[in-house]
Amino acid sequence: MADAFRSIGVALDRTAPAVSDEAALVAELKAGSEEAFAYLLAVYQNPLFNLISHMVADQGDAADVLQNVLLKILRGIRQFNERSSLKTWIYRIAVHEASNYRRSWRRRLFHEPFSMDDESLHLSSRPAICSSDSESPYSAYEQAECQAEVKRALADLAEPYRAVVVLREIEGLSYEEIGEVLGVAEGTVKSRLRRGRETLKRKLAARLSRSL
Amino acid sequence: MIFESCSEIRANFSDYIDGVCPAETNHSIRYHLAHCVPCAAELERYEALHSELRRLSRQQVTPQLALRLRVKVSQELHRNFFQRLMVRLDNIFKPLLLPSVTGALVSVVCIGLMLSSAAPRASDGPDVPLDLVTPPRVQLLAPVNLDDTGGQPIVLVTHVNAEGRATSYTILSGQATPSLIQRLDQMMYYSLFLPATSFGQPTSGDVVLSFRRITVRG
Repeated sequence: MADAFRSIGVALDRTAPAVSDEAALVAELKAGSEEAFAYLLAVYQNPLFNLISHMVADQGDAADVLQNVLLKILRGIRQFNERSSLKTWIYRIAVHEASNYRRSWRRRLFHEPFSMDDESLHLSSRPAICSSDSESPYSAYEQAECQAEVKRALADLAEPYRAVVVLREIEGLSYEEIGEVLGVAEGTVKSRLRRGRETLKRKLAARLSRSL
Repeated sequence: MIFESCSEIRANFSDYIDGVCPAETNHSIRYHLAHCVPCAAELERYEALHSELRRLSRQQVTPQLALRLRVKVSQELHRNFFQRLMVRLDNIFKPLLLPSVTGALVSVVCIGLMLSSAAPRASDGPDVPLDLVTPPRVQLLAPVNLDDTGGQPIVLVTHVNAEGRATSYTILSGQATPSLIQRLDQMMYYSLFLPATSFGQPTSGDVVLSFRRITVRG
């Protein structure tokens, strides 16, 4: 199964270009350079996909949302006024698109008939078992179960808290950057993060006590 | 800042684990934790949650999705008809470019090799003059006495055969006395000429000779 995760190119994760390079990159993007967009894809596609995956219901939806986000970046780059960094501007588009998608998904869920045999309903709750050579199948399964439980708890969080927790804990953004992405004050970021963590801690109390 | 209760302390745990509390608050929290076991346990749970969230596997874009995104971006960048046409032509011709250039180069090399093997070898002997037609030239002129010409120049047209011998001549200017003609006949008999050539082959031709008596005082 190792080749199932084969990479087709260099994709930096958790990395964004330096500010001085960013200005040149933005200029290239505004000029419509295909190479600049290829670079943008290489740098941001994995972090954005990870962020969106935690914001929407399942992987298939996350792929569609990511595609919409990239199209919005392409169409909107000429309106980017560089008052915020390119990274926060891109993340803002991703968070808004994921929120809109989730809202429309909920509407569809309540209005459209569905079958209990529908595979896609169970995909998001199925734990992904990632075994490595160093760990036993049991510990790999336990690890996957643990991750699935944390993901479920995260998915159940109310949206304002989930967005802040994902941006802080998983994407590693600073309070200031989160404020820019969500368009809220730093104090609001702190309070949402506190409440989000508190809620998660309550939901995962049993798991956390075991891990201590 | 001095906290009164555990709830006040716990309200700062979120900021504390992110390291954004002011130094004074940090100091108060550490002091409180040193004396309050339930709050220390609560902080440990916060930290465990923090590490569980950080340990979540990061979702990666699959190769198929990455390709789909590249194609979508390319389509979006080339939305008008002309740009789409250029991309299509580019896609058609780019794969052919390398084979066609390689084929052309190989052809040039092959033709070059064939021509170099078919070229005549350089001759070791003296080169044949490259001029297509050359006139006859004097190789050795026999001495002739021109004392009785009165200082007038004598100009002759001499016909030289393919063997380089003068076969006849005509006097163009000068007094043609019988004694002069006799002396000119002797000179022509003993003189040697390089014959005229045509495409490298010796042939007969005419050469103009001009004689003048040169006198030196003393």
